[in-house]
Amino acid sequence: MIKLENVSKIYGKNIKALQDISLKFAEGELIILKGVSGSGKSTILSLIAGLSKPTFGEVIVDGKKISKLPDHFAASYRRDNIGIVFQKYNLIPELSVQENVLLPLFPLNLPREDMRQKAKKVLEMFSIEHKSSLMVRNLSGGEQQRVAISRANINDPKIILADEPTANLDEKLSREFIEILRELKSKNRTIVVATHDPLFFELDFVDKIVNIEHGKLL
Amino acid sequence: MFLTPEIITLSILNLLFVVFATIAFINSLKIVLKYDANATSSYQYALEKKSYLSATIIKFIFYVKIPLFIFFVYTLDDLSNILPGAMCAAGVVSATSYGTPLLFLKILNLYVFAFWIVLNDEDMKYEDQPYLKQKFLLFCVAYFLLIAEIIVESFMFNGMDINSVVDCCGAIFSTTSATYLAEILSLSPKILLSIFYGVFILLVLFYFLKNRYIYAVLNIVFVLIALITLIAFFGTYIYEQPTHHCPFCLLQRDYNYIGYFLYIILFVGTFFGFVIGIIDFQAKELRKRFNISLLYNTIYVALVTYYPIAYYLKNGVWL
Amino acid sequence: MNKINFYLLEYAYSYIVRHKNKNIFIVTVFTLLVALLSTLFFITSSLQYELKERISNQSDIVIQNYKAGMPAAIDTALLDKLLEIEGITAGKLEVKGKYYFSQKKSTFYLLGVDAFEMQDDPLIVKLLDQYDLSDSEMLVSKNVKDVMNQAYYKEYFNFIKPDGSLQKVTIKAAFDVGNRVELKNLIIMSKDTLRKIFGYSANKGSDIALSVANKNELDFISSKIRLLLPNAKVTSKDDLLLEYDRLFDYDSGVFLSLFVIALFTFFIIIYDKANGLSSEEKREIGILKAIGWCVEDVLHAKFYEASLLSFFAFTLGIAIAFVYVFVFKAPLLGAIFTHENMLDIQNFQLNVHIELSYILLIFLLSVPVYIAATLIPSWRVATLDADEVMR
Repeated sequence: MIKLENVSKIYGKNIKALQDISLKFAEGELIILKGVSGSGKSTILSLIAGLSKPTFGEVIVDGKKISKLPDHFAASYRRDNIGIVFQKYNLIPELSVQENVLLPLFPLNLPREDMRQKAKKVLEMFSIEHKSSLMVRNLSGGEQQRVAISRANINDPKIILADEPTANLDEKLSREFIEILRELKSKNRTIVVATHDPLFFELDFVDKIVNIEHGKLL
Repeated sequence: MFLTPEIITLSILNLLFVVFATIAFINSLKIVLKYDANATSSYQYALEKKSYLSATIIKFIFYVKIPLFIFFVYTLDDLSNILPGAMCAAGVVSATSYGTPLLFLKILNLYVFAFWIVLNDEDMKYEDQPYLKQKFLLFCVAYFLLIAEIIVESFMFNGMDINSVVDCCGAIFSTTSATYLAEILSLSPKILLSIFYGVFILLVLFYFLKNRYIYAVLNIVFVLIALITLIAFFGTYIYEQPTHHCPFCLLQRDYNYIGYFLYIILFVGTFFGFVIGIIDFQAKELRKRFNISLLYNTIYVALVTYYPIAYYLKNGVWL
Repeated sequence: MNKINFYLLEYAYSYIVRHKNKNIFIVTVFTLLVALLSTLFFITSSLQYELKERISNQSDIVIQNYKAGMPAAIDTALLDKLLEIEGITAGKLEVKGKYYFSQKKSTFYLLGVDAFEMQDDPLIVKLLDQYDLSDSEMLVSKNVKDVMNQAYYKEYFNFIKPDGSLQKVTIKAAFDVGNRVELKNLIIMSKDTLRKIFGYSANKGSDIALSVANKNELDFISSKIRLLLPNAKVTSKDDLLLEYDRLFDYDSGVFLSLFVIALFTFFIIIYDKANGLSSEEKREIGILKAIGWCVEDVLHAKFYEASLLSFFAFTLGIAIAFVYVFVFKAPLLGAIFTHENMLDIQNFQLNVHIELSYILLIFLLSVPVYIAATLIPSWRVATLDADEVMR
């Protein structure tokens, strides 16, 4: 499903974020990228998402080489196939829940009814539909987390990427998040989580743990 | 040289165009020379970003150029009140030797920029961006055309002298003087009209045959014969005067500004007809453009045909 | 051109509202620019229109005699010569001019009339129908009557002749000029009396006014007259129209420089403001790209943002200028225009008279310049690398 072949990412002249990494993830797997900050795990996520391009090597997702895609193709690839959950949610506080969730689809200019249906479906999936017209600013941390996850799932993406998703959460919310991941895995999503939260390392439904240090695999 | 607020506006916007077009030109040159779709260095990524800047600038210039062109034509018409002897824009255009080339350049540039935008849209549809270098090479050419246009425009406005008398359109478009124009105008209307309607029928024919190359060529012929017949024949029915051949007086209020409509419709129709001959569109796009082209061209033919017929029905005779 | 994307439009609107301070500043600067430009054009076009309206009441061709480069009295004998020119239907010797009343620092405008002469101006025609003027009487406008009253001249007035002696003329009646504010200081009396006041001998006058049958021939006939009378100044209605068209001197370097400086400053301000992005704004763009917006989508949204701001500011600017010029009659600024051209702003009504072409002109000068100023900053924003957001 996801393949990194001899990928290196060099910023500027000397900053080697990744050095000659090769990885393979199968569909439906839950993979943990383990390493401290700056080890390069966020860079791997960014490459899979098509947000950045490798300096050397190839990123292949579902048989498609995404490294050389022009920007707008990379963006629509991302919109259709990838859902990203950020460490800080990255929602827009002054917009409503529904608007935040539909944000990825704004440029598509779909009919209003279709948009509403999609929003409803995904918000129901994560039990936050009853708050759809409220401003995100007025929600609790746990509710915002669910909005962020809903947004990541708006287009039924095959791949979910999460970057340090529990870094700002207490244990209860962290466990809630892990349950949501379990549910997503049961729907055959491929999930890649970059984290150094020990809660993840003991899970029974984790398929692979990849250790990264200084841009290299261990 | 004298300045009216209109001329100042045109000059300021021209300056803006020069500055931004030059930025786009430098970027385009870099892309044409150095862009490598397979390379992954940060320089290449920077170039990709610059291609967006150039595209945005080119679109900006084009979309401002359209109202600016209409404003330019209006300015010419307005200047006819100040230049002695001129009764409409024709006199202003002929006041200097730059007038006619300028008009021609402006219309050409509108076509070229419009074409660039169509090419760009098409290019962006494919992952391998097949027209990337071509479109920026095209812009490099368009850049010089734009600069030429702006230089000629400055010369024209600079060279206008409110103290020297200019010809009015009656003199320029008369059929009795010894110019090429007069020769064309004095051709029998039967011949001119047969060519005009004949080309139009061929247009319809090749529309149904969906042969885009011949259709495109026919459009070029059509725009030429349409302009000629407008001056030689149809214009006289709009003015209801057999000797009034001016293509600019149509733009004045006296004739309900019909000139603007006619020219815009004609240019849009023939532009789309022309563009499908050069770019290989996908089926749906091709059909859409064929339709727009034929629709606008048909409206044009209907509009110009209306005038002589209406005149005949009202008066019982031809001019 | 694609359909309008209302989602992006709404997003742009919310983005504007979320960054109120910066945008209020931008809108203020833009509105000011448009208001200034519009005020300029509204005042000049309204004044020009009014001036041209006034010409319609004047004679087709006016001929003045010049001696030593200055206007001098003209002889009635010339009138016969001129009437011989083909195309001229009628002519008369006019006696009129200005009288400076130093005591009240007022300038009166004196017009001489003869009993059976054709008058061009409808107001004069009406007054002469109403009143019979003898040689010792005059009609004065209400404003003149007030001024004279203040100097204790209630029933008559003493004009001071060039030789120092006085000419007493009785005030027959005072008339209202209505909306003809340019005639505010008008005095009408017989030609002979006026001649005495100005020191003209019996067969002389201030100018000769001619009527022409075919208005299209004004230029042609004027040139004939110039050949005939090389020392005279020949002014036709067309000449006046031309002069008024160029009245507000856009040629002058000062005006042009101010103009260009204003626009340039505007451009710099907008560019600077648009370029300054807080880390939060950068973050937001990063998020958008991470969730699937491409560079063009961001540019599209930025374009909607610029359009909303500029259209709003443009409309506001025009409205402000409209109220300032046509409702409040342009206090302060209006005087600058008129004094420059030796007109008196008080003499103008500033009626609503706007040409659409000026609106288009102001639009073309402001909105594209604004959008141009935001082009590069918007592009920089749209092409930010989004992978920093992942942290």
